[in-house]
Amino acid sequence: MRQRLINRRPERRVGVFLAALPFVLLLIAYSLGSDARLAENPSDKLLPSFSSIGDAIERMAFTENKRTGEILLWVDTSASLIRFVSGLLIATLVGGFFGIITGLLPYMRASLGTFFSVLSVIPPLAILPILFIVLGLGETSKIALIVLGIAPFIIRDMILRVEEIPSELMVKAQTLGASTWQIAWRVVVPQMLPRLIDALRLSLGAAWLFLIAAEAIASQSGLGYRIFLMRRYLSMDVILPYVAWITFLAFFIDWCLLKLQQKAFPWFAASRSG
Amino acid sequence: MTAVTLRNIWKEYGDNVVLERIDLDVEPHSFVALVGPSGCGKSTLLRMLMSAEVPTRGEILIEGEPLPADPTAERGVVFQRYSVFPHLTVEENVLLGLELQTSRLSCKLFGGAKRTAMDQARSMLEEVGLGHALKQYPSALSGGMQQRLAIAQALIMRPKVLLLDEPFGALDPGIRAEIHVLMRRLWQETKMTVFMVTHDLSEAFHLGTRVIALEKDRTRPEELERYGAVIKHDLDVWPPKLSDLEAHETVDSEATDDI
Amino acid sequence: MPKLTKILSLAMAAIVAVTMVTTPAAAEKKESFKLAWSIYVGWMPWGWASDQGIVKKWADKYDIEIEVVQFNDYIESINQYTVGAFDGVTATNMDTLAIPSVGGVDTTALIVGDFSNGNDAIILKDKSELTDIEGQTVNLVELSVSHYLLARALESIGKSEKDVSVVNTSDADLVGAYQTDDVTAVVTWNPLVAEIAAMPGANKVFDSSDIPGEIIDLTVVNTEVLEANPDFGKALVGAWYETMAIMASDTPEGAAARAAMGEASGTDLAGYDMQLASTQMFYDPAAAVEFAKSDGLTDTMEAVRTFLFDHGLMGDGAPSADIVGIEFSDGTILGDENNVKFRFDYEFMAGAVAAE
Repeated sequence: MRQRLINRRPERRVGVFLAALPFVLLLIAYSLGSDARLAENPSDKLLPSFSSIGDAIERMAFTENKRTGEILLWVDTSASLIRFVSGLLIATLVGGFFGIITGLLPYMRASLGTFFSVLSVIPPLAILPILFIVLGLGETSKIALIVLGIAPFIIRDMILRVEEIPSELMVKAQTLGASTWQIAWRVVVPQMLPRLIDALRLSLGAAWLFLIAAEAIASQSGLGYRIFLMRRYLSMDVILPYVAWITFLAFFIDWCLLKLQQKAFPWFAASRSG
Repeated sequence: MTAVTLRNIWKEYGDNVVLERIDLDVEPHSFVALVGPSGCGKSTLLRMLMSAEVPTRGEILIEGEPLPADPTAERGVVFQRYSVFPHLTVEENVLLGLELQTSRLSCKLFGGAKRTAMDQARSMLEEVGLGHALKQYPSALSGGMQQRLAIAQALIMRPKVLLLDEPFGALDPGIRAEIHVLMRRLWQETKMTVFMVTHDLSEAFHLGTRVIALEKDRTRPEELERYGAVIKHDLDVWPPKLSDLEAHETVDSEATDDI
Repeated sequence: MPKLTKILSLAMAAIVAVTMVTTPAAAEKKESFKLAWSIYVGWMPWGWASDQGIVKKWADKYDIEIEVVQFNDYIESINQYTVGAFDGVTATNMDTLAIPSVGGVDTTALIVGDFSNGNDAIILKDKSELTDIEGQTVNLVELSVSHYLLARALESIGKSEKDVSVVNTSDADLVGAYQTDDVTAVVTWNPLVAEIAAMPGANKVFDSSDIPGEIIDLTVVNTEVLEANPDFGKALVGAWYETMAIMASDTPEGAAARAAMGEASGTDLAGYDMQLASTQMFYDPAAAVEFAKSDGLTDTMEAVRTFLFDHGLMGDGAPSADIVGIEFSDGTILGDENNVKFRFDYEFMAGAVAAE
């Protein structure tokens, strides 16, 4: 009898092929579309040829800019990453702190639980003008936008994760003589750290979105700034490599967080599957 | 050597009466097995003994003193699941209680204090047969080993009372038999008073010195909510499991307690 | 495996079909056309003319269909035109050169609607002279006409962009940005200029009336489409100048039209009239023809293309601003005459003069 579809698995080499297939198809579709458009109009900017994308990469990533003498891709990348990483760190600290104490202490939950739920549904972009006036147009407001964008999610996630700690463990800790502080410090925080990384990984997409949005609003450098500026004259030959670069960075940061989680909390993966 | 007294304990959740009229005098160094059909409130009774729940009425006394509102170190617990901390190694799990006790703020020990505590933890782990697995995380242990660890973790605190909530219910029969031997030995060595909830009658009679069966008096559907479970049977297990010497000691200390 | 090849070839066929759909409009006779416009004082007539059925009336006259589509995002409307999704779009002379023309889409300025005569301005906070701008951080939409205005203003005092620091700031957030302490200089357009200028300490130190006729609002169309379908051009021009005549008339009807346009752009009759006051509208096609013929236009485009080239917008690797040819009404060509992609053509507007 033939195996059911749900039980049939590709062997390793077929698996690699299948994984590569969508990317290859996308590239083929792109080059066909690009060729067709370039045949009509050799200066077409929407789907530039691979060689003009290559030129753009050469120009942006390896050549000093004529006017500024800087290599734009690196200037943009470092500006964006500084904002991104600061935003993530602050959101993690704020989210972890408030999430854990709110999840742990009924009095905090009574007073802040609803507040955080409401906070997390406010679209941060809608209150941007207030953010500007309070924090100015500089780096602070960009980082604040990332923090406001993802910290409420992290807080809510942490509250749920703390509440998920089996009550047995909380009782057990108390029967070992632990005070509230000791339970927080020795039981809850260590168990939350790997989950905080999970929450952070889930927030990465939103964080990028808020970073790009912040850079589109007011800035002098950054990956989002460049994309929005280039969009003004449809320079897809620059935008596409930037998008690919952002995708790679996002993927890489996600991978780093996963590795950090596996290295620093070896017990976590095992206990989660168990 | 701890006596436990329950006086007219009731437990209600809204209109639902779970337990009623529970009166119990437990002698020091007893091993009380609580049995009964599922939902009869035996676990609830145990949770009240660990201060994880509050009786609706009545009072619980330990050595004549009312039970504190929070769980304390003098009452150790072992649950069927989630008894050990997944983020700590076997050794750290046992060390934790000692660290919490001696270092209130940093929760960590250093230098000589750390070495003393470490030795203590290790000998306790040897005792329960986990001396070879000090650096492993609980998730790497079998169910039986996890329960041994949970017991070691509880016993390092030298509790007066040990509360066991179906601790061996999920274990394979062979493993369970081994751990029964260990449990009995530890109980005899430490002289603590043990309460154990179990749904396995043979386990109850095998380990217990006294078996308490909880059950609802009234079983008509319309009465189920309004009447809680009561102590239906209260059996002393014969023959007594204490050696003569121990029995003697018990009597002695009982006499002291009475004074 | 044969099954897989079949699936693959099917997928390829689908992909090819999809990409073909999005290729630019070919030069052929056709019957339906699409015009994109975005909200700005000089282009509001398109929305009104469309609502009033004036566009349809003229399209019917030439037996064609014209769909008029409003965009909330000006740049997106030009991009959509450039990639071939529209046959015509409203744009400034500068953006037309920078986007469709540099992008290889041969584009004709069909209607010269107006030029900015104060609608774009440089505003300083607590300073009253243009020279005070030196060393300041200037918030503006980079590479827009605001940026061009700044470049021209700096030129007029013998300075260059090196003497200021430009921060790209989205137009939607400029008013809010101005209220923060970090922002001391902005360049923008109306109605934002009016709003910011009304705030305490705000001083207009330079505006587009200082460079009259350089920031021109056009309705441009694809040259190939226009050549193959002159009726499309005639219908647009006819509808436009009928609307202009109503709008300019000092009658209740004219006021109602302007009030409706003002409302559609988020203000009222008074606000809209105020914006019109700083806009040199060519209500009369004869005046537009006159302007399109003038020599000043050549100088303007020279300044514009120099600005674009300096900012890398004439195409990367372009040796000079000559890479794209700009043809004027008298047939003279600025730049590469073998690569003319931007044409000023008053013929259609002249047709409207004759029809009057």
